Amino acid sequence: MTNPAGAARTGLGPAVPAFALLLLFFVVPVVMLLLRSVTEPEFGLQNYAALFGSGTYARVLFNTFLVAALVTVFTLVLAFPVAWFMTVLPGRWATIVFAIVLLSMWTNLLARTYAWLVLLQRTGVINKTLISLGVIDQPLPLVNNLTGVTIGMVYIMLPFMILPLHATLRTIDPAILRAAALCGANRWQAFRRVLVPLVMPGIMAGGLMVFVMSLGYFVTPALLGGTSNMMLAQLIAQLVQSLLNWGLGGAAAFVLLVVTLAIYALQIRLLDTRRLATQGAV
Amino acid sequence: MRQLLIGSAILAAALAAVPAKAQDMVFTSWGGTTQDAQKQAWAVPFTEESGVNVLMDGPTDYGKLKAMVESGNVGWDVVDVEYDFAIKAAQDGLLEAIDFAVVDRDAIDPRFVTDHAVGSFYYSFVIGYNADTYADTTPSSWADLFDLEAFPGKRTFYKWSAPGVLEIALLADGVAPEELYPLDLDRAFAKLDTIKSEIIWWDSGAQSQQLLASGEAPLGQFWNGRVAAVAQSGANVGISWEQNLTAADVLVVPKGAPNKDAAMKFLAVATAAEPQAEFAKASAYAPINVDSKDLMDAETVETLPDSHTESQIDLDMQYWAENRDEIADRWYAWQAQ
Repeated sequence: MTNPAGAARTGLGPAVPAFALLLLFFVVPVVMLLLRSVTEPEFGLQNYAALFGSGTYARVLFNTFLVAALVTVFTLVLAFPVAWFMTVLPGRWATIVFAIVLLSMWTNLLARTYAWLVLLQRTGVINKTLISLGVIDQPLPLVNNLTGVTIGMVYIMLPFMILPLHATLRTIDPAILRAAALCGANRWQAFRRVLVPLVMPGIMAGGLMVFVMSLGYFVTPALLGGTSNMMLAQLIAQLVQSLLNWGLGGAAAFVLLVVTLAIYALQIRLLDTRRLATQGAV
Repeated sequence: MRQLLIGSAILAAALAAVPAKAQDMVFTSWGGTTQDAQKQAWAVPFTEESGVNVLMDGPTDYGKLKAMVESGNVGWDVVDVEYDFAIKAAQDGLLEAIDFAVVDRDAIDPRFVTDHAVGSFYYSFVIGYNADTYADTTPSSWADLFDLEAFPGKRTFYKWSAPGVLEIALLADGVAPEELYPLDLDRAFAKLDTIKSEIIWWDSGAQSQQLLASGEAPLGQFWNGRVAAVAQSGANVGISWEQNLTAADVLVVPKGAPNKDAAMKFLAVATAAEPQAEFAKASAYAPINVDSKDLMDAETVETLPDSHTESQIDLDMQYWAENRDEIADRWYAWQAQ
């Protein structure tokens, strides 16, 4: 760390294969795709005009953001108590909870998504149980719609929210909460005015990660959603594979990339500002 | 599932271009029981006869096929595709012409052969229903699929823009079969709107079977072979052949296929009477070779669309090839609403 430039130089050699791989199999195809989006069927911005001009595609864009936002909010609400629990548990138990969280991440995505299908469908476990208990008499529409997509994606995104939250929570001295209580804060005030601001970097990191991952998600919306909840990644697949309209598909993929990069840039900026603010406060 | 993301389509085209060994060729189809049957009925006898090993790949992916041909890196020799796609792909220059010096054109049902494609198998869209759900009155006509009062419950239709669903909507709305084409799209979509919220779309044959057998969607539009297979597995399902709609899969050779000669010989075997009969027995799809039926027992013949020609309607693949893109735009826009 004393000589960052030197460290960067010496570190460069071993990184070359990874850079080459990314350049060859990511950067080059992305640039080719971008070129297609402005050259097919002819040179110009007609694909972008079509993308933003049509009510259908605008709806897909809106839906993509709606799902990503819903998933982020629900994931945060569910992840926070788990992360907190992991922080206050004694070491061995925390390790077990940690392992459970990671285990869910390592299980095959398709298998987990199909499992939700089995649980959520009209003739699925949840509906059958509720009907036999007499809670409902008609099956609830839990799948092939926004509900199904949100449930499935929140479940898959949970570890990506729990881990950053936990990482931040762990660094907070529990004495701070006791101090807040001693100063007369009730539990809500201690949570809202002391804990949340301190955890904010974790919330931002987890939230943006989940939001960005959700934007480009494909498998879960494809399996648990209906055709009216189509997201951008599905639209891209459809344009490329079914309609063979690679110009428009390229434009859609590029829009997704730009939005993702913009949010990433925003994240870096926000975290920087935060760090400055905290340092200023200290 | 036939979707993947764009990057992988391009990447896969590059990877699939790894050339097969000499005396190997690659056959690509839709996977599952259908491709298993194709392997047994066609590839095995072809390899015995020619010594050429047939490697199986799949599922068929039109994006990949186009990427291969455009990049000049074709990894597939014979591909099973939908008929209307084949006509369009031939117009776009993506396919090799079939060598009818090798393939016997006269043995193939003329409905299912063109200069660039030979029939793979043909099938009908039929009405399938779960007989546990509809014990008293069973659905028999396309109009019944639109009758939410007589037949409540979710109904399932083919998800992709393809010949079938729009025709069904028009027939259900009272259009005479001979007046179907050109399709009145406004009328078809208006009719579909009346049941749109009750539709679950199936995107693969396996999914359609699961929906039907579980009762998740107790009635709908199915490939006849898939309903027959569900019935054979012991599920209580029924079938109505009224106004069954024929469509076909065809075999094509992508332009620039590395083993074109072997591919043509493979097509000759695949479309011959006996291999077609063997495939039909295993899959409950219909043979496209006009002599195959004589090689099959009466009971199997009864499950084929050939035995239900009374009110049968041929979907117009030429019309679809010409209007494929335009209809697809509208179809997916409507679905997404």
